[in-house]
Amino acid sequence: MEDQKTMKDIHLEERVVSDHAPRITARGVNVHYGENHALKDVDVDILSGTVTAFIGPSGCGKSTFLRCLNRMNDTVANARVTGQILLDGEDIYDKRVDPVQLRAKVGMVFQKPNPFPKSIYDNVAYGPKIHGLTRNKAELDGIVESCLRKAALWNEVKDRLTAPGTGLSGGQQQRLCIARAIATSPEVLLMDEPCSALDPIATAQVEELIDELRASFSVVIVTHSMQQAARVSQKTAFFHLGHLVEYGETGQIFTNPRDPRTESYITGRIG
Amino acid sequence: MAGAFGPPPFPFCRKLPLMTVLLLLSVILVIAGAGFFLGRGRALSRVSGNVRALHSLPGYYGWHAAIMTAMPALGILLVWLIAQPIVLERQVLPYLPADIVADSTERTLAMADVRRVAAGLDMAVSTGAMTEDEAGMIRTELTDVRSRLASVGVALGSDVKRETLQAAQAYRKSFGAAVLWRGIVVLAVALAGLALALRLTEPDFRARNRGEAVMLGVLITASSIAILTTVGIIWSMLSESLNFFSQYPASEFFFGLTWSPNFRGGSDLGFIPLLWGTMYISLVAMIVAVPLGLFTAIYLAEYASPRARAWIKPVIEIIAGIPTVVFGLFALVTVGPFLRDWFAEPFGFGNSGSSVMTAGLVIGILNIPFISSLADDIINSVPQSLRDGSYGLGATKSETVRQVILPAALPGIVGAVLLAASRAIGETMIVTMGAGAAAKLSLNPFDAMTTMTVKIVGQLTGDTDFNSPETLVAFALGITLFVITLGLNVFALWIVRKYREQYE
Ligand SMILES: Nc1ncnc2c1ncn2[C@@H]1O[C@H](COP(=O)(O)OP(=O)(O)OP(=O)(O)O)[C@@H](O)[C@H]1O
Ligand SMILES: [Mg+2]
Repeated sequence: MEDQKTMKDIHLEERVVSDHAPRITARGVNVHYGENHALKDVDVDILSGTVTAFIGPSGCGKSTFLRCLNRMNDTVANARVTGQILLDGEDIYDKRVDPVQLRAKVGMVFQKPNPFPKSIYDNVAYGPKIHGLTRNKAELDGIVESCLRKAALWNEVKDRLTAPGTGLSGGQQQRLCIARAIATSPEVLLMDEPCSALDPIATAQVEELIDELRASFSVVIVTHSMQQAARVSQKTAFFHLGHLVEYGETGQIFTNPRDPRTESYITGRIG
Repeated sequence: MAGAFGPPPFPFCRKLPLMTVLLLLSVILVIAGAGFFLGRGRALSRVSGNVRALHSLPGYYGWHAAIMTAMPALGILLVWLIAQPIVLERQVLPYLPADIVADSTERTLAMADVRRVAAGLDMAVSTGAMTEDEAGMIRTELTDVRSRLASVGVALGSDVKRETLQAAQAYRKSFGAAVLWRGIVVLAVALAGLALALRLTEPDFRARNRGEAVMLGVLITASSIAILTTVGIIWSMLSESLNFFSQYPASEFFFGLTWSPNFRGGSDLGFIPLLWGTMYISLVAMIVAVPLGLFTAIYLAEYASPRARAWIKPVIEIIAGIPTVVFGLFALVTVGPFLRDWFAEPFGFGNSGSSVMTAGLVIGILNIPFISSLADDIINSVPQSLRDGSYGLGATKSETVRQVILPAALPGIVGAVLLAASRAIGETMIVTMGAGAAAKLSLNPFDAMTTMTVKIVGQLTGDTDFNSPETLVAFALGITLFVITLGLNVFALWIVRKYREQYE
């Protein structure tokens, strides 16, 4: 009951997104890890200029699906992906598509922070450097600073940009990874529980960032916080045991879910 | 005196002394095994089967009894085995002439004769050619002992002297007695230990904690054997080195630029040319081994499919199993002539088949699997999440390897390279066969040179007085080499340790 009351308090503005064109279209996606059928027949459209939230109990396949969208599952030896995923109408699993270029376009923030054992500066500059996004040092400095600012980390690290990124706290590392991901200016940004180690202030800042990013990118965010999904997203997908149970506008999912499993989950009865 | 012990109690013992030791060992183990069941049974009966009333599980009482039986008995047996030859020699020496006993070399030779004659008599008795009484009573004055023994198949180099025969007869008697007493004492100790253990077996006796103490003792003993060996090595090297430096000035050894030992004395024993040869050859070896080993490791860890990896890795590691002397042959008959005919002679670098290049190249090849397998482990221990992070930003495989994986693995790889370097520095066989034996200070990699290890072997196997500086210099070289490689190893381990801390 408590829960339902807070839900009503959340601003459900700007929920109309049907005029946005789909960037990513997934049809009949199945993922097997060896014998384990982790994802079953998932159909989703990720719209441009939209934040899409993936929710669902632990182990239901949210990360797995996210990793399909930029072909990170290619690096998992026993993973097998079938089905069709189109990015701007082009099949990303086509032989002609270079996964390296795809990943530059579809960036990712991982569930566990994974800063490189390099300086804070070099962590953020990594993407711009390998993709040759800047012409000189000053430009690179500019990108590093603006990304660290966007990730709400600049004030904490501006005096020690040369210190190793691995020496930061868990939450700082997570923001460093966010800064690192947006520094390559991806067109679609996949964020796997980006706020799981953040305090409320940093969380609010990251949510603000996500809202800003929506202007230029599509953002997909996996979260275990219903409030966060309701706050930042326009579309929500609910996964359960490898199935996509329900996908729709966030306001509708949280106020008027069609599937009883969705309702049980958002009111806290299954998890 | 002669008949004091009567005939030896176990004539067969002397032939096969090991047999009786083995027998004794098995008897001890059987008693200990019985002790286990007795101890456990007694513990159980003290509490009429109620295990919870015991301080420890019944098995611990069993182990306690078994250990109390076996350990002191085995300890006594060990001490006895060490002391017995010394004591026996003492007893036999009075039979030998005083002038022989006075000289240590002569005494050793005479004792060897005595043992051989005693063994001959044993053999004669066991084949039935002599009776036990006869063996104890024959005299050189009355019997041609040498031909008597020859007839039962024991060949002696010279006629048996009177005192040798007497000493041998005394030796046989004492030996028999010693074996008898050894058995009695050891078994008595075993039984006493068992009795004590059973008396201690009460419900509140902390057998479990005793077990911990014994375990600790065993572990400490095991590790101290390794440490003591190291200390022993250092000690023997050090004392001989000090002996060397008392005969040859240390400054000339460490800073001398010529190495020309002269077995008639007056040698130049400067160690710099040897150090130079060692370092030059190791450098060439590392230049070969580091890139090849590292690239192999990167291929195996990052690029090879699991199937390719499953057969490539063992095949590469076969190299590590080839004896270095075989590598030396390869250097001598294949690599050396090849380098001479195709590089050294056409380019005017000389005409020596043995060269720094030959040895360095082959040692380098030998070290490839060493570096590749260490580096492979290190690269594999770089967390997958770092790779994911890099791929997720749109980096290619080689960018990821160069910019993320190698920097992360670098300290570990440096450690591996240093370990390989200390192996290259200590290599002997390949250098002997591939680089020649001429101590030279030269920059030309196609010149024959030599290393410290080769000279250590050379000087020790030389045909001179052991106490001359020409021989003793081997120990000074040895300890210097030891210090160099120890330094490298410590440095390498320190770096590897630092690296470990990064991810744990
Ligand atoms: N690399 C892998 N190898 C084998 N099985 C995997 C692998 N990664 C995930 N799985 C399996 O796939 C299923 C879905 O996992 P996934 O990581 O997508 O869950 P999730 O929804 O992200 O959960 P969480 O909320 O806990 O992060 C699980 O059953 C998991 O065991
Ligand atoms: Mg997950």
